Amino acid sequence: MKEVFISYGSIITPLGNSEEQIFQKMVAGDSGIQTAVEVGNKNENIPLGKIRDLSSDNHYIELLNRTCDQLIDLYGDMVAEKSTKIIISSTKADIEVIPNDSFVSTRKIIKSKLNNHGDPLIISNACISGILAINTAADYISHGLFDNVIVIGIDVLSDFVTFGFQSLYAISNEVTRPFDKSRKGINLGEAAGAVLLSKNNLGKTFTAKYLGGSSSNDANHISGPSRTGEGLFRSINKTLERSKVNTESIDFISGHGTGTIFNDEMESIAFDRLGMNSIPLNSMKGFFGHTLGAAGVIEVICSMKMMEHQILIKNIGIEEVGVSGKINILENNLKTEVRTILKTGSGFGGGNASLIIQSIT
Amino acid sequence: MTELKEKLKAQIIEQLNLEDLSPVDIKDEMPLFGEDGIGLDSIDALEFIVLLEQNYGITIKDPSEGKEIFQSINSFAEYISKNKA
Amino acid sequence: MIYSCKIEKGAVFLNGVKQPIGLSNSENWTKELYLELGLNYPKFYKMDDLSKMAILSFTILKDTVDFEKFGEDDVSLIFANSGSSIETDKKFLTSYSENESPSPSLFVYTLPNIMTGELAIFNKWFGENIFIINEKYSPELYLEQINFYFSKGAKACLCGWVENKNSEQDCTMFLMTNDGAKTTEKELLDIYNQ
Repeated sequence: MKEVFISYGSIITPLGNSEEQIFQKMVAGDSGIQTAVEVGNKNENIPLGKIRDLSSDNHYIELLNRTCDQLIDLYGDMVAEKSTKIIISSTKADIEVIPNDSFVSTRKIIKSKLNNHGDPLIISNACISGILAINTAADYISHGLFDNVIVIGIDVLSDFVTFGFQSLYAISNEVTRPFDKSRKGINLGEAAGAVLLSKNNLGKTFTAKYLGGSSSNDANHISGPSRTGEGLFRSINKTLERSKVNTESIDFISGHGTGTIFNDEMESIAFDRLGMNSIPLNSMKGFFGHTLGAAGVIEVICSMKMMEHQILIKNIGIEEVGVSGKINILENNLKTEVRTILKTGSGFGGGNASLIIQSIT
Repeated sequence: MTELKEKLKAQIIEQLNLEDLSPVDIKDEMPLFGEDGIGLDSIDALEFIVLLEQNYGITIKDPSEGKEIFQSINSFAEYISKNKA
Repeated sequence: MIYSCKIEKGAVFLNGVKQPIGLSNSENWTKELYLELGLNYPKFYKMDDLSKMAILSFTILKDTVDFEKFGEDDVSLIFANSGSSIETDKKFLTSYSENESPSPSLFVYTLPNIMTGELAIFNKWFGENIFIINEKYSPELYLEQINFYFSKGAKACLCGWVENKNSEQDCTMFLMTNDGAKTTEKELLDIYNQ
């Protein structure tokens, strides 16, 4: 198997439009979540991770266009080359066009903007889409099918998704507090992020090694997480094995941490079962909200920033840890050696996925 | 009350797409959730909240209240007759 | 080895042979098939049409394959379609825009990968899953993905193209076992085109 490198490409979130700007706000503990007025199904006020400088009516199209522009600025002609593949991770894509096909505009924009030779691969696997997309990109590189694979994770806010999560009583009416004793649910957010998986270290932006990844189904329930964290437990074990890394060498876990009672509880149980009790862990949902298909990608980018700056960012919203598995939630930023990072995610359909990246030096 | 219970059974079958059941299969005292009863789950409980609102104009704010209300047809019907607008 | 099943309104094919199952062309064809197969899985009725078709196809395929020989982590699920969950998306849209009550049970099915979750639950399989949205059925895409998952240790890949879009409802499913046998794009295309 060939070596695989990963570097960040572009990122647009409620906290800003460049990875450095976003990261500095995270270091300062700023949240991108604000209460939006009368956006609920019954006109409730709901906290949302909204990108404020989107000007058009269709956030999805604008966000995808802007992401493509950023990628062209950074990579130039490489985005169009035959040896480059584009992978999109999105749960609902351009959902505002329903009842029409919500994935049509994605192909159109990628084709016209990036002028890429092949069709983009679109992965839509609920909240683990981003991690799965990165893992699949690594497969294309390690099998020698492409030299470069750009993974774009993107999802935007919509009535469709907001009303849906409201119907599940999964939305918090406060800023979300993942892993906290008094957590009340998720905040939805919107974002787009892109990473590059490549066979060579191109050195355009901070680059790390991608070591391995996997997915595993809970085989339990289509919307409720497993009580024992079985799928997450199995996925992390497989990822450790494929990465040839043991638990002791993991310096940081970027968890999923949606802020719901059951998800965070499940994650804590899985990490506890894996003996990962003392590894610093955070959820970034308090910064951006849950950005669904973008989450895995933007959280990997922010994890790479932590590696670049050798600082771990705290889990904002935490006051008192309230999960039954023994885990080490980051209550403050921590200056420390950050060499090896485990990223995890879990989602509807019983999906769980994980990956490990490691610094080059 | 009997009339309400029969109506409720039909509505439950309709709302949850329980096409394999007919109202006579659902006994008044049978537990609706869990393995002993008709095996409904947490999503069905949320769907009951929609049913209450749409058909009886009753709003439940906290889904955990549903646990007691939706135990059986008996408790469900009793709650409706007490709270109906 | 490759095993295949295709179901659509009015017809069932197993390993390339049309099965003598009397199906009508009605909207209710999945229920007819469920009853015809004598399946006892009450959850079936609560599923969306994508999941229903996946469970039915799998039940038919299971007759010719000894799935018992695979461990609970051994089977990777590689599923795709072009329409995502569009028909359920439309129903969910109606539930909040016309009926003013967003339906939680419809909402959970507005993700196309729920059907792979249903298959995992049905079989107690903890293996890998991926769901892809593609413009059309692509043998090349499946062969690529199968190769990835075999090299990561899968003993078999259960693949599917499950479509529910406008009036089109069909499910092509095939199982490839990791025994070194080669499958061609043409073979995969023939399974889809029967």
